[in-house]
Amino acid sequence: MSVLEFIANGLVFSSIIVLASIGLSLVYSIADFANFAHGDTMTVGAYAALVTFGAVGTLGGTVLGLPYGFFVALLAGVAVAAVVAVATHKLIYEPVEIGSIGLLITSIGVAFVYRSVIRMGFGADFTEYGIQVLRPIEALLPFGIRMTLHDVAILGSAIVLVSALHFLLQYTDLGRKMRATADNPDLARVSGIRTNRIEIWTWIIGAGLAGAGGAFLGLFNQLSPRMGFDILLVVFAAVILGGIGSVYGAMLGGLLIGMINQTMPLFENFGQYAPLVPEGWGIPIGLEYANAVAFVIMVLVLLARPNGILGDSAT
Amino acid sequence: MSDHSIVRDPKGYWADLTGAERGVVGFIVVLFALLFWGLLSGGLGPAYFMYLVGLVGMYMLLSFGLNVQWGYTGLINFSVAAFFGLGAYGTALLTANSSPLTGGLDPFFGIIPVPLVGLVVGLLLAAVLAVVIGIPTLKLRADYLAIASLGLAEVVRLIIKNQDGWTNGSRGLLGIPGFFDGWPVLDTFPQTMPGLRFAELQIGIPGVWSTRILGFTLGQSFWQSTLNVALVVAFVAATYVVLRRVHQSPWGRVLRTIRSDEDLAEALGKDTYSYKMQAFVLGSVIMALAGVFFAHLNLFVGPGSLDPINTFYVWIAVILGGTGSNRGAMFGGFVIIAIQEGTRFLGSALPQTLPVDLPSVLGVINSTYGTVVDNFASTRLLAVGIIIILVMRYRPEGVLPPQRELIWPESAKAADVTGGAVTGSAVDDSPGPDDEQARAHDGVDATVDDADATDSASDDADATDSASDDADHGGKSDE
Repeated sequence: MSVLEFIANGLVFSSIIVLASIGLSLVYSIADFANFAHGDTMTVGAYAALVTFGAVGTLGGTVLGLPYGFFVALLAGVAVAAVVAVATHKLIYEPVEIGSIGLLITSIGVAFVYRSVIRMGFGADFTEYGIQVLRPIEALLPFGIRMTLHDVAILGSAIVLVSALHFLLQYTDLGRKMRATADNPDLARVSGIRTNRIEIWTWIIGAGLAGAGGAFLGLFNQLSPRMGFDILLVVFAAVILGGIGSVYGAMLGGLLIGMINQTMPLFENFGQYAPLVPEGWGIPIGLEYANAVAFVIMVLVLLARPNGILGDSAT
Repeated sequence: MSDHSIVRDPKGYWADLTGAERGVVGFIVVLFALLFWGLLSGGLGPAYFMYLVGLVGMYMLLSFGLNVQWGYTGLINFSVAAFFGLGAYGTALLTANSSPLTGGLDPFFGIIPVPLVGLVVGLLLAAVLAVVIGIPTLKLRADYLAIASLGLAEVVRLIIKNQDGWTNGSRGLLGIPGFFDGWPVLDTFPQTMPGLRFAELQIGIPGVWSTRILGFTLGQSFWQSTLNVALVVAFVAATYVVLRRVHQSPWGRVLRTIRSDEDLAEALGKDTYSYKMQAFVLGSVIMALAGVFFAHLNLFVGPGSLDPINTFYVWIAVILGGTGSNRGAMFGGFVIIAIQEGTRFLGSALPQTLPVDLPSVLGVINSTYGTVVDNFASTRLLAVGIIIILVMRYRPEGVLPPQRELIWPESAKAADVTGGAVTGSAVDDSPGPDDEQARAHDGVDATVDDADATDSASDDADATDSASDDADHGGKSDE
């Protein structure tokens, strides 16, 4: 595999992590707790997409190698994840009056409930959407990049969603209110912002992005009830790396962590890829430790810069 | 701190208990009655019964460990399973004959049994890991520790699962000897004990219902597990006594202050980072102790023991039992076994489909029933999740929040002698409807009362000093 191919793969995986970490970071800054159910919200989105795709079918034509039906399923995944998250917020998080640590523990219970219900419905095994696997794009092969149209679709959709969020946060009323609430909820409230509503919007946007991330993760790998929980720690690593509560930090952190996760073999066989380094030199860490490396980076970041790369800056 | 000993005056003792305590006693009695019934009717082998009792003890130890961290100091540790696993693997790698590292060792110097060395190694490993994870996280906000410790648990699990050359990977380690392997006398205790035969009996109401009970032999495996139960009872008792002493010491009160209000503790000149580190290491070592016990109880360890779900079983035990309460932690140990065995029972004993025919409109009930019975691992997960949510929603202080165990025995007596001079104190000991006070006293949130304790803790108060202090604000107003 060439270096460029690793980077391309890293970009695709990063876009999934970025979608997930933005949502986590938004909820962290506005609802003010570390939501351990975020990964399982992704799972909810992925399985909602699976069910919808099974129901609507391909709907004829394809865009970027993906049938129209998949995009409908993607929207359904986003919608279901958002609805589930808002319902959880209303039914569980809001009535609990125990501070952010209590909410954190509660969110673990919520995560287990999501996961067990999905397991009951779909079994514990891996499943797939059943979309035909594509051949790599011919035009990129001369550059040593094996990338399918599906990968391009994931990357493209993530870019669209992230740009939309950026626009929302910077140029709309809702975005300004969200930033104000994240910055100082009390001040926002006395300024006349209905922070309750902002909180619901936060859940909708955060969980919706997570749902999209989950649906793409199912396309990138496979679906399993544990998929969200397994990736949750990587997402946390991204959020901490970028700086908790900073949306742009989460984007940057997600990009870095996703990149590192997918370019692990580069480090293992460093000698093969870098000039001047003897063949066979490298950091002897297997691919099975890709997640572990993310956590170790996270711990190192905590040691050196507890607020993350972009921590404490404006959301 | 009851005036009524359970032996001399059982009625008075019962009347002294709070409603929650009665419920807990009732729960444990019912659970044991069910288990005994399983034992008598042959549904549960005697050795398995003792194994379950051993597991209850193991979960008690784990809950004690977490209680030191979360209950007393407010540290969110989501890597309970990792410390447990390190303890288990620490001793297993030394003692198991399938261990790729040692292949099982001979007794050290010919006399020191290997499991004893394994115990020390397991505890040391956990202590080192606790320091390593504590250094970057304990200075930060509490939720960083939660995230980092969950990540760390995953790292430990991945290493144990993937380093085949060290740990046998996912095959796990077989052939771990019992804890008393190589000890004088105890090593051969199970073999020397006689097998006890219980003849089968037919009981019941003639003509209405009858069943066969007993009809098993208490053999070597039973004596082996009895020995294990004795071991865990010793571990639990020793830990309980040590923790009780520790928590009532000035050191323990600084910890509670940190949990209530860390800034206050710092303002009083406490090096909170150092205190938190000590508590984190102490709790982790206790968890590793449970792991060591488990390795020698189960005689097999695999990476499955490090699954995150095991961490959250212990969390349930602690938050349900009563955060900061060791009695509650013990109760939690029973609850975990009830969840695990209860869902197993659902999976095996109940019929696969509903015994009654429902109209097709209610098909959803039918299919739900099928799923719940079929898939008990998921049911277990669901039960764990729902219990966490319900406890945090309706009783965040737990079923048995710390009340009496915060008070020195002598001080309570002293308070009694002076006629219960202190009234309206937050630690209310009266048997009445004390839920309100309990909530006020030690929920998840801080209380001013705990913070007050530091005053005396700050000067090196010895036991007598702290006793009088506790009498001041924790006295008994029970005439």
